[in-house]
Amino acid sequence: MLIIGIDGATWKIIDPNLQRLPTFRRLKEEAICSTITLHQKPWSPSVWCSMFSGKTPEEHGHKDFVENGRIVRREDIHVDFIWDLLHKQGISVKVLNIPFVIPPYCFNVRFEAVAHGLPIEESELLEEIQRVTEKALEILENDKPEVFIVVYTALDRLSHLHWGEPILVDYYEKIDTALGKLIPYDDEIIIISDHGFCAYDEAPIRTLPKKTPKGEIKGDHHPDAILITKNINYVINQPEDVFYCLKEKYLVPSNK
Amino acid sequence: MQKKNIAIPAELYAQIEERIKGTEFTSVEEYIVFVLEEILKEEDESEDILTPEEEEQVKERLKGLGYL
Repeated sequence: MLIIGIDGATWKIIDPNLQRLPTFRRLKEEAICSTITLHQKPWSPSVWCSMFSGKTPEEHGHKDFVENGRIVRREDIHVDFIWDLLHKQGISVKVLNIPFVIPPYCFNVRFEAVAHGLPIEESELLEEIQRVTEKALEILENDKPEVFIVVYTALDRLSHLHWGEPILVDYYEKIDTALGKLIPYDDEIIIISDHGFCAYDEAPIRTLPKKTPKGEIKGDHHPDAILITKNINYVINQPEDVFYCLKEKYLVPSNK
Repeated sequence: MQKKNIAIPAELYAQIEERIKGTEFTSVEEYIVFVLEEILKEEDESEDILTPEEEEQVKERLKGLGYL
């Protein structure tokens, strides 16, 4: 199974720009596309953590990238992630660039994230998409794991400071191209975002300050995340369901 | 978990047999798996450790994006 996370991706940008996004356009025809309206706060560290631990923020306790002035690490989060469980069962699994911690987490993969997983400048954003895609292709081509999970962070970082600007669609195009390269490698696919985005003043839940040292925040997180599934026989209503989807397919003994 | 066979020198095997006597390890294989997992874990963890300077850079970027 191939799971591609796109931090901050939203139908608000994809749908009106389908003519420029041929992979999304094809997925709209060939896959099941829907919206996940989060029950939890649209906040990347806790949502990605929920998605792959199967636990709510109250259960996993991971609320932020930094707590008490200290950058939180994987070891501080006392849960088994799906890759831990799959690996213990001898199922080949690789995980690339999951941004629930900084730098983004990898499992069975050696990868140095661009700007520690916080690309902001245009050159860094481009480099992230390029390097994550190259590494993902290397894994899919050579290692062929049964389960591969990869996340792109660039759209989230860009949406904070450039929501509403044409440059954002340019980067959706780059992600669209990257998706087009990855999805031929698997028949069972989940493409998902941890939250959506919207104009800062339209956010139903304010998660970000209006101004930062980098300038004005133009976009804020929105509870509506994207979900695209292909050949996935499991109903995904919330991020935690991705964990249970994988668990049911690979870890629950079949009664047949 | 699926397992694969590997060969190690007989002398090394004997040394490990001696070493695990009286320990909680019940077999040479168990000891070798433990040692290798510990080494790989250390390597993985060392990649994620940021220097104090890098931590400050990360915090500045988090502030720039409004995360902190």
